[in-house]
Amino acid sequence: MAERFAPTNAASSSVHIDSKVIRPLRQRRNGAGLVFLLQWGIGLTLTSMLVWLALGSGWIWPAMTIHGGLLTLPAYALSHETAHGTAYRTRWLNEAILWFSSILYMEEPLHRRYTHTNHHTYTWHQHLDSQMPFDLPMTFRIWVFEIAGLSLTRYHIVRLVQMACAQYSPMIRKVVPQDELPRLTRNAWIFILLYTIIAISIFLGQNWLLWFLVLPRLLGVPIMQSFTILQHAETAVNSPSILETTRSFGTNWLGRSLYMNMNFHVEHHLYPNTPFFALPALGQALASQIPEPDPGFWRTSLELVSVVLRRSLGKSTRARSIRQAPQMITEGAIASTSKATM
Amino acid sequence: MEASVNEKIHVCSSDGIELEDLIRFDHEDHTFCIYHTLDGFFATDGYCTHEEQHLEDGIVIDNVIECPLHQGRFDVRTGKALSAPACIDLMTYPVSIENNEIYILIEKTHKTPAA
Repeated sequence: MAERFAPTNAASSSVHIDSKVIRPLRQRRNGAGLVFLLQWGIGLTLTSMLVWLALGSGWIWPAMTIHGGLLTLPAYALSHETAHGTAYRTRWLNEAILWFSSILYMEEPLHRRYTHTNHHTYTWHQHLDSQMPFDLPMTFRIWVFEIAGLSLTRYHIVRLVQMACAQYSPMIRKVVPQDELPRLTRNAWIFILLYTIIAISIFLGQNWLLWFLVLPRLLGVPIMQSFTILQHAETAVNSPSILETTRSFGTNWLGRSLYMNMNFHVEHHLYPNTPFFALPALGQALASQIPEPDPGFWRTSLELVSVVLRRSLGKSTRARSIRQAPQMITEGAIASTSKATM
Repeated sequence: MEASVNEKIHVCSSDGIELEDLIRFDHEDHTFCIYHTLDGFFATDGYCTHEEQHLEDGIVIDNVIECPLHQGRFDVRTGKALSAPACIDLMTYPVSIENNEIYILIEKTHKTPAA
């Protein structure tokens, strides 16, 4: 009989925490998530005013980019946290916010939830992890496509249309329970209807949707992607240990707030049902068992760009300050070793 | 012939499970989860009915246990599956508290000699 795959988590990573320590950290609350919503709302109001003030001038583009970053990165983070069910203790509130944030993120909520739970079960395992967004090892071209959001946006649109047409990929059939497939199709149609209404409204002259929603959403993608690309880039493939497949990195209070502490990504993968607000404390509790987080967001990002650029130029890709799996250190011509599943 | 009898098995002291928490309890070749909620103590099978994932690391909220792997949810009082991907109900077992000690009742079948 074939050996059963052990889900990639704390146990598979030989990380242990006393149940008396983890129990209070896993407690769900509504307060922290509601405060996040309030702060996000206030922030979006302020950046909307910025866009409004910049209308008709060349400042509109930077204003929309700032507004877009504030719109897109928290939408991703909130969609992710509610897909886990950990953002709010109250179930209906969690599910309502999952819908709202997933509409902004452009991924049908059930697809979001099931592909993501699969990502946790098979973290960074070739052909098994349904959320491996790019071929490995990453080249500069792949990096550009990822950061610009071209690959992700294409994936979201294609998946939405496929699900609306009840065309389920083998991966969807594998990760989504059979009984849920009709709901996937229904939800995909709701999404398409919403996006169509927005498009028609703009066509009919509701230009505010363009300046305050659509263009900022597109301009904000690189900011969102700059954070999410760091989660697993240059880490090991097919390892049972989260410590080898996943990266945590330091960032300032603004980055932590907008990203809902997902820079504590190793901690999140070890104990996925720990709510976002408890991840810093979880990091402290696990400090002796997990690697130091990579340096701050900017330094980690710049080193990643440097690595993928050197790879595309055929030079040595050994990283100096960020964690990198030995199998990702390449020199000369490289061949793709792992295909994207998104 | 087979006859069934209820076997009363000692689990632990009622102080041994905090409110809104659970413990794993293994007995012979069977594994259970014992829950402490505001409505009392309850017992179910240990494994989620969706996939072979033990519920011991799940989260108890009110009277609901959420599977740690795919977030299937069950009412621990009835075993009813509340949300996908869990579709099949959990088996539940009667629980009794005697002198602050928790017991679960398990139906056991015995072969008896034919008359």
